[in-house]
Amino acid sequence: MTKRISAAFAAIILFSACQGAGGPTQTPAPVRTDAPLASPTGTPLPQTSATAVPTTPAAPPTVLATTAASPTSSSITVTGDDGTTVTLASAPQRVVSLTPATTELMFELGAGDRLVGRTDYDDYPPEASQVPPVATFQGVEMEKVVNIGPDLVLAGGNNFTSQADIDKMRQLGYPVLVLYAQDVAGVLADISLVGQAVGESDTAAHINDSIQGRIDEVSTAVASLSKPRTFYEIGDDPELYGPAPDSFVADEVTLAGGDPITTTDPAVFSIPLERLVSEDPEVIVLGDAAYGTCPSDVYGRAGWKKITAVEKQAVVPVDDTIVTRPGPRIGEGLAALALAIHPDAQITPPADVPVYCSATPSATP
Amino acid sequence: MSTRVAAAPASDVHTGLLESARRRPVALAAIGLVLAAATLILGVAFGNVSVPIADTIAIIGHRLFNWPQAVTWPQSAETIVLELRLPRVLTAMAVGAALSLAGATYQGLLRNPLADPYVLGTASGAALGAAIGLLIPVQIELLGFGLVNVLAFGGALLAVAVVYRMSRLGSLSSLTAVLLTGYAVGSLLAAGLALTMYVAGNNLRQIFFYLLGSFAQASWPQLVVCLPLIAIGSVIMLSRARSLNALLLGEQTAAHLGLDVRRERLVLLGAATLVTAASVAVSGLIGFVGLVIPHLVRLVVGPNHRALLPLSLIFGASFLALADLIARIPGELPVGVITAIVGAPFFLYLLRRYHAGYDL
Repeated sequence: MTKRISAAFAAIILFSACQGAGGPTQTPAPVRTDAPLASPTGTPLPQTSATAVPTTPAAPPTVLATTAASPTSSSITVTGDDGTTVTLASAPQRVVSLTPATTELMFELGAGDRLVGRTDYDDYPPEASQVPPVATFQGVEMEKVVNIGPDLVLAGGNNFTSQADIDKMRQLGYPVLVLYAQDVAGVLADISLVGQAVGESDTAAHINDSIQGRIDEVSTAVASLSKPRTFYEIGDDPELYGPAPDSFVADEVTLAGGDPITTTDPAVFSIPLERLVSEDPEVIVLGDAAYGTCPSDVYGRAGWKKITAVEKQAVVPVDDTIVTRPGPRIGEGLAALALAIHPDAQITPPADVPVYCSATPSATP
Repeated sequence: MSTRVAAAPASDVHTGLLESARRRPVALAAIGLVLAAATLILGVAFGNVSVPIADTIAIIGHRLFNWPQAVTWPQSAETIVLELRLPRVLTAMAVGAALSLAGATYQGLLRNPLADPYVLGTASGAALGAAIGLLIPVQIELLGFGLVNVLAFGGALLAVAVVYRMSRLGSLSSLTAVLLTGYAVGSLLAAGLALTMYVAGNNLRQIFFYLLGSFAQASWPQLVVCLPLIAIGSVIMLSRARSLNALLLGEQTAAHLGLDVRRERLVLLGAATLVTAASVAVSGLIGFVGLVIPHLVRLVVGPNHRALLPLSLIFGASFLALADLIARIPGELPVGVITAIVGAPFFLYLLRRYHAGYDL
């Protein structure tokens, strides 16, 4: 009994440290299916359906944003990232969003008024707070979903929304579109997919154009710069947590012009301090700044004194929400991350970003 | 509860309500059944969406008992009542009954007041099975049962089978050895669980919620599969109340009374483990019920298993369904937390007031 409770307690600590308040893709992606993204052209991506299920490689590629259905066409067919195809008779009018990223996206698509349910940790945009919450950290409150009777549910893949809840909603007859972006390219694909599903493909294409513009701006700005060894700190309590190899965050650090320091295995989040010291990061980005960690704390940590980033005071707080949430603000997040790694790069700083640890001396590598 | 019992004539020594109830197990069972029925109605009528109570009754009457009734309620209300709440309340009752009965049996069988349905490694075995099931990325579903449920069920059975073999429970070995074997096997499995959780990545949350226990995933197909298992095990245990009474006197005495101690132990252990495994497969690990409900009942009616077992079953069912109702009204709280918060103070009160003469 005692063992059980202590194990469970360890679990919640570990989980909260890994998950933070961001989107589903802070966690490692086992396989990376898409090609590297930094395409200088800004054209739409070659595939919009990043099928995460290896057993369905033959899932038909989804229609590109430019040819997608408009609200007037009769029926909409989209394939989620779990390989399940969802067919909608018409553009959905009662949408339940079960991830913070899709809630942001619905508002960004101009379809916020069609949102009838969200999770209770959706925090952006402010208007989202007026939508009734139907899911908590523990899971979907099924009675509330049934009471609402949605005609489309947007769920997070890779168990962000639990598979049991997804199965239950499908069994009750609600169309559930599962979204799971394994990298930044996957975010753009998911934005197209949702745009197509709710009949706002043109808006989705505009959003993706602007994100792609940001990606291109960042990749141009960092192209000629050195690639400093970068550690993105996801959490430090009770252990040190960092991105897994091939994970979403590692992909972003690469795009932002850094050389990511990762854990040893896609399924492992925690990184031993010995490994970090031997990898010797030149920049440390504090993704946990939103949860109370500041550069001054890092400078005071035992055993960190000889790390280059600490010696050069190159420890930088960022807003974890925009960096790791696979939503429409991902371009801004990438810009914020690139500026954290390369403070002098020619990149427009993202607007309306909360400032963390402003009392501490500004970091200059 | 109190008014009916208070009407009974006061006993000669103590005048407490529970003292008089002690002599009337049948009346107590009747009260328990009324309580269970009330809990069932409350459990279906309340949830985190409000459905008018008249609609609730009309829906159940119309759909389950074919009452002639004009359909005046929205389809969503019918789905909520029939597909979400009713199977959930019934599953909570079945699991509560199973765990309480199994707890009473384990306590009698092992003659240990701290025994509960999880004492011989069931919990760790089920948890490890469920955790492994969550990590296997294959989606298999049969009758509402996924890999998680099946592996939890198998893990629980396997853990107890190993303990049984290792401890030679089939012989007349000491009960201390059995308990220690259970503890050792449980610890080994718990270490496996911790390791599984460490590498679980994104599935950690699901494992964590399994460990806390919940009825949120209850459904008719699951209930239909687990209910017969619980029913069979329960009937076996209830029919062997006399054997448990004999075993309370000690194995030697029981053997001298003509009891086939080895066989009875095996049968009782098998039945208790079967219902426990079926319970943890559908609900996850819900603590406290299996430990405390038998003690509560024993405090009131004494250690005679012929009264103890059926009353544990009845009150366990009501208690867990009620705890689940309390757990889901504010949003989904872990039901195991509620059972302890509600049950522990009440148990402490009873223990303090009636501890005199209490024995297993």
